[in-house]
Amino acid sequence: MPLFFDLTINGLIMGLFYALMAVGLAMIFGILRIVNFAHGEFFMVGAYAYALTAMKLGINPWFALILAAVSGAFLGVAIEKLLMRPLYQGYASWSIVKDEYAVVVTFALSLFLIHFVDKVIGPSPFMGPSLVSTQRIAIGPIMLNGQKIIAAGISISLLCGLALFIKKSLWGRQIQAVAQNRFGSSLAGIDPVKTTSIIFAISGMLAALSGALLAPIMNPAPDIGSFPALKSFIIVVLGGIGSIWGSMFAALLLGVSESFFAVYISYDYRDAFGLFILVAVLIFRPHGLAGQKGRGA
Amino acid sequence: MLDSNQIKKIKMKVEPLIRVEGISKRFGGNQAVDHVSFDVPHGIILGLIGPNGSGKTTVLNMLSGEFFPDEGATYLEGRPITRLSPSQLAHLGVTRMFQMTRVFGRLSAFDNLLIAGRAMGLTAAEASARAQSLIQELTLEHVQYLDAGQLSGGQKKLLEFGMCFMCPPKVALLDEPFAAVHPVMRETMSRFIQSRNQSGQTFLLVSHDMPIVKILCHECICMNTGKIISQGLTRTVLEDPNVIEAYLGGDHE
Amino acid sequence: MSQIENLWSRRLARDLKCLLLLCALMCFVPLLDLSPYTLGILIIGFYFALMALAWNLLAGFTGQFSMAPAAFAMIGGYIPALLHFHLGASLWLGIPAAVIGSAALGFLLGTTVLRLKGPYLALTTLAFAEIARVFIGNSHEFTRGDQGLNLPTLMDGRIAYYYFFLALVVLMSALIFLLMRSKYGGYLLAIRDDADAAESRGIPVVRFKLFAFTISSAICGFAGCMYGSFSQLVSPELGLLQQTGLIISMVVIGGIGSITGPVLGALLVYLSSEWLRDVGNIQLIVFALLVMIFARFFRTGLWGIFLGIYARFKSNKKN
Repeated sequence: MPLFFDLTINGLIMGLFYALMAVGLAMIFGILRIVNFAHGEFFMVGAYAYALTAMKLGINPWFALILAAVSGAFLGVAIEKLLMRPLYQGYASWSIVKDEYAVVVTFALSLFLIHFVDKVIGPSPFMGPSLVSTQRIAIGPIMLNGQKIIAAGISISLLCGLALFIKKSLWGRQIQAVAQNRFGSSLAGIDPVKTTSIIFAISGMLAALSGALLAPIMNPAPDIGSFPALKSFIIVVLGGIGSIWGSMFAALLLGVSESFFAVYISYDYRDAFGLFILVAVLIFRPHGLAGQKGRGA
Repeated sequence: MLDSNQIKKIKMKVEPLIRVEGISKRFGGNQAVDHVSFDVPHGIILGLIGPNGSGKTTVLNMLSGEFFPDEGATYLEGRPITRLSPSQLAHLGVTRMFQMTRVFGRLSAFDNLLIAGRAMGLTAAEASARAQSLIQELTLEHVQYLDAGQLSGGQKKLLEFGMCFMCPPKVALLDEPFAAVHPVMRETMSRFIQSRNQSGQTFLLVSHDMPIVKILCHECICMNTGKIISQGLTRTVLEDPNVIEAYLGGDHE
Repeated sequence: MSQIENLWSRRLARDLKCLLLLCALMCFVPLLDLSPYTLGILIIGFYFALMALAWNLLAGFTGQFSMAPAAFAMIGGYIPALLHFHLGASLWLGIPAAVIGSAALGFLLGTTVLRLKGPYLALTTLAFAEIARVFIGNSHEFTRGDQGLNLPTLMDGRIAYYYFFLALVVLMSALIFLLMRSKYGGYLLAIRDDADAAESRGIPVVRFKLFAFTISSAICGFAGCMYGSFSQLVSPELGLLQQTGLIISMVVIGGIGSITGPVLGALLVYLSSEWLRDVGNIQLIVFALLVMIFARFFRTGLWGIFLGIYARFKSNKKN
C-alpha cells in the first residue's frame, strides 16, 4: 500500500512539473495554432540560468529562481519577435504553409540552442543548489525529497496563479479573446501581436521555472530539455490542443502513469511509454481528451 | 431567362439532374440543416438564398461531398451520391467553388488550369488548349504565368471558376462567387455563367447578392434556420413575405 | 526572364539541366587525385543528396513534413544487414528487401498520418522515428544494439563507389523529374498547396499522399542500404533525429520545392560540415542558424537566390 501511495504522490509531483511545461505550449497552440519545437530549450535555459547564477555567482537560490524565470520570458519574447511574427504580420512567403514553417524554424532553433550552449558553456558540471536544506521529509509512510516538495508547492501556486490570471485579469481576458478569434479581437481594439508576445513570455517563463526547479535534481546538460519537451507535446495532444485545463489534467495523468509503468512494466522504456501514447492518441483521437473540434486536425 | 412555362416543361420531361431528399445535418447542439428536399432540373440556374446561418453552405457542402448528411439522400441523375468523396463527385460531374477562394498558390495560374484538366482525365494537349481558351474567356492573359497566390482576390475567383470548367461539369455548385468581387469581374463571371447556361449548363448558386440573383437565377430556394421557407420562381420567392421577414427579422451570426 | 519561365514545366526543365551540368562536372572530380578520405566525404555527400531528394519529394512537393527520413535510411540499412547477419543472405536479396521493406513501412506510416497536418504530422513521424531507433538500439539479441551490423560491399575501391553514387543521384533526379513533369507530379503539388481544393478538383488525395510516402521512404531506404554497403557498417546512429535535422537543413538551405536545390544543399552543407568540424565542431550551430535565416528570408534557398541573380543579369544584358 505504501508503495502505491509513494508512486502516486511522486507521479503527481512529476506531473506538476510536466504541467508547468505543458501549459505554456498549450497556450501558444491555442493562440497561433503552431507547436514550438524549441520549447524544451526554455527548460534548459532555466536550468542553466539557475545553476550558473546560484553556483558561479553565488546568488541566493530564490533570487536565481527569479532570474531563471526572467531569462525564460526574455527568450520567449525574442523568439516571437524574430521568428514567429512573419507568420501573421506582413508578407511572408511561407505564410501559405505556416504550420510547416513553424515546424522547420522551431526545430532548427532547438538544434541551434542545444549546440550553441553545448559549445559555449558545455554541460553544467554541477547541479543547482537545493532551495531548502532539509533533504528528506517524511509524510506519513512516505519519504519525500525536500526540494521536490518545495518545487511542487511553487508549481501549484504558479499554475493557480496562471489560471486566475487568464480568467480574471485584463490581459488574461484579452488572451482568451485572441485565442478564440484573432481577427475579431483586433477589430475590438486588442493588439494580437502584443498578446502573442505576452503568451510567449509566459510560456518561456513557466518552462524555464520548471527547469530551474528540477535543476537541483538533474544534471543540467544542453539537451536536458528534449525529453520534457517531448512529454509536453504528448500532454498537449492528450489534453486536447489549446485546452489549458486539459493539459494540466493530462500532465498529472502522465506523471502518475509513467511512475507506475516504470516500476511495474519497464524502467528502460518508461520514456518511450509516452511516445506510444502519443502515436495512439494521434491516430485514434486527434482532438485529444478535452480539446475543441477544429476544422481538420 | 426561361419563363415559368418553359421551366414546367423541362421539369415534366426528365428526371431532375439533382434530387435532394430529406437531408439533415447537426453540428453539436446546432441543427444546421433540417429535413431539406428539393430538385435541381437540367439546365437551370437555381439560387439558394437565406440569411447568415440558414444552412445554405452546409447544404452545398453535403452536395459536394465535404461531409455526409446525418439522414436523407442525394441523387445525381437518379444515382445515389450521398456518401461519395469530393473527388469521386468531381469525376461524376459535380464541381464546386469555395466561398474562400482556393487555388494552388505556388503554381502559375496556367498550371492551375492544367492540373485541374489533367485531374479530370484530359490529355496534356487537350488540357493545354482548353486552358488557353479559358484564360482568354476569363480575361486573365496578363497574369496567366504569375503564381496563383499573387493574383488579386477577384482574379483568384476567376481562376477557380476556370478550374471548375476545364471539363464541363454536369452541375456547378457556386458558393458566394460574387462576394467581394470587383464589378468588372462580376460582369465577366455573370456573362460566363449565362453563356454556359445557354448551352445547357446547370448551376446551383448560393448568394447574398440579390440583384445578381434576380438577373441570373430562374428559380430560388430560400432557407432559414436549416429549413426551406420558400421555393419557386425567383420573382415569387423574393416577394414572399416569409423571405422578407427572414432577412429583416434578425441575423443568425 | 520572361514570365512564361514561371511555368512549372519550364522550371523543372531548367532545374534538371543545371543539375545534369553539375553532375557532369562532378564526373571530373576524381581526376583531381584526391585522398580517399575526401572521396569518402563526397560519396557521403551523394548519399545525403539522395536523402534530400527523397525528403523534398515528400515535403517540398507534397507538403508532408515528415521527421522520419533518417529512420527510413536506418531501416533500409538494417534490413539487408539483418538478412546477412542471421541468414547469410547476399545483397542481391538484401537490396530489394530494403526497398520493399522501407516502402511498406512508409506506406504504413502514411496511413497513420493521413488526417494529420503540420505539427501533428511532424510529431507522429518523429515518434515513429524515435520508436524505431530505440527499438533497434535496444534489441541486443536481434540487432546487436549499438554495436551495429556489418554489410558486404558491392564493389572495390572508392572511385568505383564515387561514380556509382553519382550515377544514383543522376538516376534519382531524372526519375523525380519525370514524375514531377507528369500529371501525377501536378497532383502532388496540388495536394501541397491545398489538399481540400485538390480533392474537389478530382484528385484522389489519399491515394497520392500514400504514394508520396511510399516512394519517399523507399528512396531513403535504398540510400541507407547503399550507404551501409559503402561504409560496411550500419548502426542506430544512422537514424538519429540529428540526421533528419541535417537533411532538413540541406533542403531548406539548398532550396525546397525544386530538384536542384536539395542536391546543391546536400553537397554544400555536407562539405562545409566537414570543414566546420575541423574549425571547432560548430556545424550544427551554423546550419541551424542558416535554416532559420533562410526559412525567414530566403524561402527559395540558395538555388532560388542564384536563379534570381541570373534572371536579373539576363534582363540587364537585354537593356
